[in-house]
Amino acid sequence: MRKFIVIALPIVTLVLFVLVMQSGDILKQPLVGDDNVPQAIETVIQDINHENWEAATQNTENLKRAWDKVVNRVQFSGERNVIDALTVNIARLQGAVQAQDKATGLTELSEAYEHWKNLGD
Amino acid sequence: MVIVRAFIGFFSLLIFTRIMGKQQIGQLNLFDYMLGITIGSMAAALTTDLSSRAWPHWVGLLTWCILGYLMHVIGTKWQYASKLLEGEPSIVIINGKIMENVLRKMNYEISAILELLRNQGVFDPTQVDFAIIESNGQLSVLLKPEHQPLTPKDMKMPVSYSGISTELIHDGILIEENLTKLNKDKTWLLTELEKQGIKDISEVFLATLNPAGSLYVDKYKDQLKKDK
Repeated sequence: MRKFIVIALPIVTLVLFVLVMQSGDILKQPLVGDDNVPQAIETVIQDINHENWEAATQNTENLKRAWDKVVNRVQFSGERNVIDALTVNIARLQGAVQAQDKATGLTELSEAYEHWKNLGD
Repeated sequence: MVIVRAFIGFFSLLIFTRIMGKQQIGQLNLFDYMLGITIGSMAAALTTDLSSRAWPHWVGLLTWCILGYLMHVIGTKWQYASKLLEGEPSIVIINGKIMENVLRKMNYEISAILELLRNQGVFDPTQVDFAIIESNGQLSVLLKPEHQPLTPKDMKMPVSYSGISTELIHDGILIEENLTKLNKDKTWLLTELEKQGIKDISEVFLATLNPAGSLYVDKYKDQLKKDK
């Protein structure tokens, strides 16, 4: 029994570490319903395209909330730079929506989506 | 995030180095030394370099450890490869005479050899029968018979077998498994401790028993007698 534990424990530990480090691609996907970052991005894009700024403001807040939930899960497997960059994109987006700046808003959303795609790769 | 990555790096390194085995420490030649530094720096980067993912650092760490392990396995199975990869020992002193051509080949200064001899307690090279520089840079010295330390065998003195002592108590805790291996029981041990004025096992820091039956006991409260 002891020999089994001595061999199994390191193997299980290493497998767990690999799962943690490679979990980014899976954990960034929506799990609880209100953490769907790509859908939130798409929603804000639609709002900005239709110049529906009130809805854009609300949906930007939803995007921020969704992203905050995803960050807690992917921080161990994702690059810090990508996480920080996406956070900054959302901050700039809030400013752009407040200023009703369509071009900046769409630029930030496009970049944010690219960062989200690169997360965990 | 750093704490989790430190956890991953620390225990991954622990597991890999345990698998690589003790020879990594015992036969540390220049390449093994550099391998150790490289592996260590990869583990450090895995922990603190948040600008990149942990996964590439971990894969690099694993790859280097596997390659290091394979090198030692190949060296063990194939002697010629061992000579190529790890170098081989060189005799630098024979019968008190220094082999200057060997020193020149190895880029060793004579002052370094004399220093290594002094580290072994040899201040006169003429006392040396053979001196060998090992592949890990250590100097092994065989003194001439007339300069070797005296042994009981030289004096034809009978000695009793001492063997290896077995721990019975460590840090106040009884090691029952060892007690059973020596065919002793707790009652016997307590009786022996009582002879030394000890009432409980928790008063003992270390107790060992050697094959000759001599029980060594070290208490937490050591009472050193002052010299008058």
